Amino acid sequence: MDRRSFTFFVLPSVSVMTMLMVVPLGTTIWLSLTDLLLRDLDNSSFIGLANYSEVLRDPAFWRATRFTLAFVAITVPIEMTLGITFALLLDRVGRGRSIYLAAILLPFIVTPVVGTLLFRNLFSRGGLVSWLIELVTGTPFVIDGSNVRFLIMLHAVWHVTPFAFVAVFAGLQTLPQERVEAAAIDGGKFREIFWHVTIPHLKSILFFVAIISIMDSYRVFDSVFVFAGNRFDDSHTLSVYNSVVALDAKIGRLGKGHAIAVLTVIGIFAALVPFLVRSYKEQIADRT
Amino acid sequence: MGLKRVTQRGALHLSLIVIVVWSVLPLLWTFQTSIKFTRDVASRVPVLWGYDTTAAAYRAYWFDDQTTNMWQVLLVLLVSIALITSLAIVSRRSKRPWIWHLLVVASIIASLAYVSRSFDTSDQFRFLINSLVVTVATICVSIGIGLFGGYGLARYSGKSGAGILIAALAFRALPRFAFVLPFFIIAKYLGLLDSRAVIVLALVAVNQPFTIWMLRTFFLEVPKELEEAAMMDGATRLQAFLRVVIPTMKPGIIATSLFTLLLAYNEFLFVRVLAPTNWTLPVGIVALAGGESSKGIAEAAAAAVSITLPIVVVIVLFQKHLVKGLGTGAVKG
Repeated sequence: MDRRSFTFFVLPSVSVMTMLMVVPLGTTIWLSLTDLLLRDLDNSSFIGLANYSEVLRDPAFWRATRFTLAFVAITVPIEMTLGITFALLLDRVGRGRSIYLAAILLPFIVTPVVGTLLFRNLFSRGGLVSWLIELVTGTPFVIDGSNVRFLIMLHAVWHVTPFAFVAVFAGLQTLPQERVEAAAIDGGKFREIFWHVTIPHLKSILFFVAIISIMDSYRVFDSVFVFAGNRFDDSHTLSVYNSVVALDAKIGRLGKGHAIAVLTVIGIFAALVPFLVRSYKEQIADRT
Repeated sequence: MGLKRVTQRGALHLSLIVIVVWSVLPLLWTFQTSIKFTRDVASRVPVLWGYDTTAAAYRAYWFDDQTTNMWQVLLVLLVSIALITSLAIVSRRSKRPWIWHLLVVASIIASLAYVSRSFDTSDQFRFLINSLVVTVATICVSIGIGLFGGYGLARYSGKSGAGILIAALAFRALPRFAFVLPFFIIAKYLGLLDSRAVIVLALVAVNQPFTIWMLRTFFLEVPKELEEAAMMDGATRLQAFLRVVIPTMKPGIIATSLFTLLLAYNEFLFVRVLAPTNWTLPVGIVALAGGESSKGIAEAAAAAVSITLPIVVVIVLFQKHLVKGLGTGAVKG
């Protein structure tokens, strides 16, 4: 395809992304240098990096950063391990596959704010799990500041595992059976086949799932907002902290909110740059 | 079959059943709550079976007038949906089936609008219509634009193609707050706050990187010779693209649409910020779910089940495409 038709075909996508992503992002950076308030959008003045130094001295920002990083570091590996396990198990089933598949996929399609509500129903007073815990320990389970982080992560694992599962499961369908059989004839145990045949075959899929899950977990908002929004301040992620600072009717500091957004963006890019550079090189290599 | 194989199979199915319970139990429990009377909802020891059922919570969720005959409403809906579907089946031989599919979706929304006018429905019913309109519009715009972009990126071998792909990947990583506040400010100045259009625009934008990546991987599977042959016969590239390439892309379009559907239907943050009153279902249920009373809990449970049901139906119908879509996207991506 020549350059002119390429320009014609990508123009709509590129202009949408430029106008609706690059321009807002630039606006975000610009407004992070002002003292704009939610209740007075017409007046603002340039205050340099004052918002940034304020955010960086705000203990709530560091609390949110720590919890966000912990959230990513704990949930993503669990989701991937469970996803691989579910996929390996289902791959051995002949009859009844599609029923199991539909059931395992369910949490992935449940709206996050709805899923949060489902977990709250299970764990609050009169809920099934809360009651089971009371049977075992003698005291009923009550959602409070000490366990809400656990519930947030439990819900995340429930919601995201099917994504890892379905990607790995799709990958297993293209696993060359000859190689598995050859390895089995050579006397390979399940574990050896798994590490030497299955995992190398799934490498690019696992990489893809890990990157997507890290991106999505890092900016998690919906479920944390519903679980901890205005009740448990110390269980906020960066996005929720951002929303409280910028959009709370009483605080409503858009300038500071924009500064938090910019810092969040810098954070994810710092983690992603090696990966982006690698993908760019791969793309270039594919072309020659 | 040896004893060892029987036990192995048993263990396999047992572990899968444990996984299934873990996956569906939260929804099942909430479904139970939604059909219980308040005295059973309030019970501290869960009432697991033998309880009387009621649709009161669903009535409270969907209607303001609590004497509305829900069966009558359901009948109106079922009759119109049956008529629409049969129309779609009859028109299946049509050359452009997607026009009929859009017509069916539009008629479903129209029949819901009819119900909302003739019965005393609640705000949530309005949010349902908003949800459907926003979702369908987002899918159409985003796939419509993305098909061109994805095709261009699949067929062009210059360096700028790689640049666009990597930029799109970087945008995919951005948190919502990198855009949403400027969107809010601009929408406020243009008087677009609370309109469905601005939500659709925002969703199309954040979804575009993913859409072009996924559609591109599907285009890579289409052999180049296909359009080259058409162009030899005198078609322009655009004609070849529209008449020869697009018709082979059905699985890719369905898979990408499903992911877009999940994104748009589930969106919470954009709607909450950009629409002060004209919400969609996820924002509606969060506003509703704050209550601690048994009646409130049952109504929120009914809401949860009602919101989940439509996507479950769609995904069950297209499950294979979802799995295949992730497989293709992941292997090549």
